Amino acid sequence: MLPFEPQIKVEDLGFSYEDSYIFKDLSFSILKNQSLFLLGPSGSGKSTLAYCLNKLYPEAVDGVITGKIMFEGKNLNDFKPGELNQKIGIVFQDPESQFCMLTVEEEVAFGLENFHVPRAEMEAKIDRALEWVGLQAEKKTVIHTLSGGQKQKLALACVLALEPEVIILDEPTANLDPQSSTELVETITKLRKTRPFTLIVIEHKLDDWIELIDRCLVLDSTGAILFDGITLQCFGEFAPFLKKEGIWLPKVVEAGISAKNEGFYKGERLPLRTAELLSGLEDSSAFFKKESKNTTLMEPILEVNGLYARGHLKNITLRIHKGEKIALVGQNGSGKTTLSKCLAGFLPLTKGEIQFLGVPLSKWKEKDLYQSLGYVFQNPEHQFITDCVYEEIAFGLSQRAIVSSVLETMNLQKHAGAHPFALSQGQKRRLSVATMLVHEQELLILDEPTFGQDANTAHEIMSVLNEKNGAVFMITHDMELVDQYADTVYVLNEGELIFSGTPERLWGKRDVIERARLKLPFRKQLQNEMVRREIHVAT
Amino acid sequence: MLAKWKLREVIVLSVLAVVFAVVYLLFLQLGNVLFGLFGLIGYDIIFGIWFIVSIIAAYIIRKPGAAFLSETVAATVEVMLGNAVGPQLIISGMIQGLGAEAVFAATKWKNYSTWVLMAAGMGSSVFSFAWGFYVSGFAALSPSYVTAMFFVRLVSGALLAGLLGKYLSEGLAKTGALNSFPLGKEHKRNVTV
Amino acid sequence: MSLHEVNPSIKAFTIVISILILSAFFDPITPILIILWTVTLTFVFGRVSLKKWLLLLAPFLFIAVIYVWSTLLFPRLQEGDHVIWQWGFLTMTAEGFRRGVSLGLRVLSFATLSIMFTLTTKPTDFLLSLMQQCKLPPKLAYGIMAGYRFLPLIKEEFQILQNAHRVRGVARARTISEKMQQLKRYVIPLLAGAIRKAERTALAMESKGFTGEKNRIFYREIKLSYIDWLFFILMISAVVLSVCISWKFGYLQFYNGEL
Repeated sequence: MLPFEPQIKVEDLGFSYEDSYIFKDLSFSILKNQSLFLLGPSGSGKSTLAYCLNKLYPEAVDGVITGKIMFEGKNLNDFKPGELNQKIGIVFQDPESQFCMLTVEEEVAFGLENFHVPRAEMEAKIDRALEWVGLQAEKKTVIHTLSGGQKQKLALACVLALEPEVIILDEPTANLDPQSSTELVETITKLRKTRPFTLIVIEHKLDDWIELIDRCLVLDSTGAILFDGITLQCFGEFAPFLKKEGIWLPKVVEAGISAKNEGFYKGERLPLRTAELLSGLEDSSAFFKKESKNTTLMEPILEVNGLYARGHLKNITLRIHKGEKIALVGQNGSGKTTLSKCLAGFLPLTKGEIQFLGVPLSKWKEKDLYQSLGYVFQNPEHQFITDCVYEEIAFGLSQRAIVSSVLETMNLQKHAGAHPFALSQGQKRRLSVATMLVHEQELLILDEPTFGQDANTAHEIMSVLNEKNGAVFMITHDMELVDQYADTVYVLNEGELIFSGTPERLWGKRDVIERARLKLPFRKQLQNEMVRREIHVAT
Repeated sequence: MLAKWKLREVIVLSVLAVVFAVVYLLFLQLGNVLFGLFGLIGYDIIFGIWFIVSIIAAYIIRKPGAAFLSETVAATVEVMLGNAVGPQLIISGMIQGLGAEAVFAATKWKNYSTWVLMAAGMGSSVFSFAWGFYVSGFAALSPSYVTAMFFVRLVSGALLAGLLGKYLSEGLAKTGALNSFPLGKEHKRNVTV
Repeated sequence: MSLHEVNPSIKAFTIVISILILSAFFDPITPILIILWTVTLTFVFGRVSLKKWLLLLAPFLFIAVIYVWSTLLFPRLQEGDHVIWQWGFLTMTAEGFRRGVSLGLRVLSFATLSIMFTLTTKPTDFLLSLMQQCKLPPKLAYGIMAGYRFLPLIKEEFQILQNAHRVRGVARARTISEKMQQLKRYVIPLLAGAIRKAERTALAMESKGFTGEKNRIFYREIKLSYIDWLFFILMISAVVLSVCISWKFGYLQFYNGEL
């Protein structure tokens, strides 16, 4: 490779699958040790492009590739099968389905075996890779027992063990809680300081990465290049265009856009850092106003007294009132799902009592109970029991007339005859919520309803829930949702309730936030930053 | 045989085998109940269920070896699960798989109509019965009883493996999960036409 | 020597051969001797827990009993058989009784052999050994391994589905067609999810350079040693010896190609 020659050079690249183009005529190049975002709306072919770069496609699917890709001056076609995978590593989105061995060390070894690393060298390489990501202690652990964050670190270790020159991250934090996402980004930042490599990141949650990324390559919904240039310019000047395309933006840029639209922000280009945003704000107090919610509580519908369960939940006491919107937060493994399952009567209690509408939960007849109490599962597919969308909503209804109006509110009328499983991710989620809403239950429990959803779907679901008359009890990791929609928030930590109250009160409790590894919502972060600056200016 | 298989197809085959290995072990319990009620012939009533993965894998993937390999892998997984069905079960699995494979081979792996699927289920019945005759010592039983067992197993193979296998595969095709497999593509064509 | 250290492929091969030989004989003595021998080996050299062993054996005891009564009620009648009892179409003969007991004991002897294998072999070792000693193609072996990893996930999903169906108010299936519906409602979501995950897993494996190539250097080598062959010889000799003892006492009866 000549100096200044790009490491990866793509010329007139096209990819088609089943007679339709995902993208075509793409040309760009990437320099060694550059770091870039590969952005685009869903369906624009970001992942497909990434898989073409390391030759996984078209072999793995029956697709057709046109144009050419050069890696270090050599055409991709001239690489032997598998050869390129040592040079270009990839971490995928789903932590559950990227491993094939049972234990951590075996999984790292699997990659080394594929490249005929001599056995004598394997152990040292495995240990080193695990140390890089901080998983040395888990060397012999069975992968299934790791947390989501640990699994993604393991996936990274498997790639690092092969000492690649390029690493592609395909939505690596999509299934992680906020704290684990931040940790993963920190790990990568640290690694790149000691051992540089080219980094290509496909992501939705951009904030954590922004310091690390030099360049953005943006595709539009037809798979054509919309923007290719430095990060500063991408978000600072072109952010409104990206937003129109339905591409996720960093929260600070989003805030900048809305501040600009409302006339509060006077900066020339949109801010990439909170400091920039604040110094550009003219009337900051007006920007931070939040409508206070009506907080008068009605009569309780569900009462939990001294609940113990699964040897994990300890002495939980809480009240859910009619129409109350509740968020349950806490880090992974704190018992959130266990608690919500207890409330829905799926799990037996070891001690304590739950009363629903004045009757102990155990005394309810199953059929009557689930007419008044609904539960939306994390994976919408688990809830589907029929072959078509219409039947799915009509199931168990005596009045079929309301089905079409429900389909309309959920924007599913065009898909009434489709198989529920064949819908898109967002449509599936809307359908699963709709199947519960039609029964107008007193209480609806939701296990991370916005998990893995795009911004639009998340807000659609939340506004539908907000208008609902019944009470909502929702597990979530998203502090923005808590801030915007919840009347009450409960914080669970190691099986104990350590906080209950309004979101505004929670944001003031620094010890609780730290103990439960929560993050402040962006609005609150900004406010704190501003207060800090004012103090700074005053002194 | 495997050289022409994509890794994706191999993994999907083994995942099918894993799911049905669990189903098989569950049906062993149901088998034991029927066995308790009707004697040896009780097993034969539901024997077809133990061939179903051959039919499903062959119908979905449509490659030589799909029927044989899926049944063999399912048996291997049952052994790995360790519910005391020992390594000889792998031999049983191979023999059952061969029975179905033989029928698909006779159509040169081209025809996957309902009748062929049922015949494949019956192929497994015939092969497994011959093997069972030796290993389980059916020779000690009265010939008319053995004949009855054979016919019950034949019908079970046709219905529980052939027909039920087709029914489940098609239900699966509707979900869109098979879109990159021949059955899924066929289904898509039928829907759009 | 420990049974846990015996090469899994050799162990499996030995047990299959033993079963094939044992299937040729119809007498009670041979299986009894094999049961005694296998149980001794399992507990002395396998050091397995008695509780686990009994738990695995229990269903086979039941099956053995059914075998006995099936053969009792529907025996193969031969000339010169001694009829003990007759009622309608049911005929019980002394020979039938003996064969029934033999078959029951055969089931138990196969079961003890299987349990010996199951309780002393790790699943991953078995697969690694099949690849390293029996030339099982890595594509298939790692495919099985990847599939095997899905089991805990499938179990979790199954439980979630049960709860989800309860909330949706799916009534308990009563008729056959309802039962079929129910089977479909469980199997299809489980399979659809599993297939999509499997495709992702395949892509992830290829991204780590896996091509299914046959010559691999294995991180964990499953070795062959003299102990493995010692085990093989010991087991097969025991089978042959049991047959000889049975023959000596005049119990042995061959499988005479009876049809």
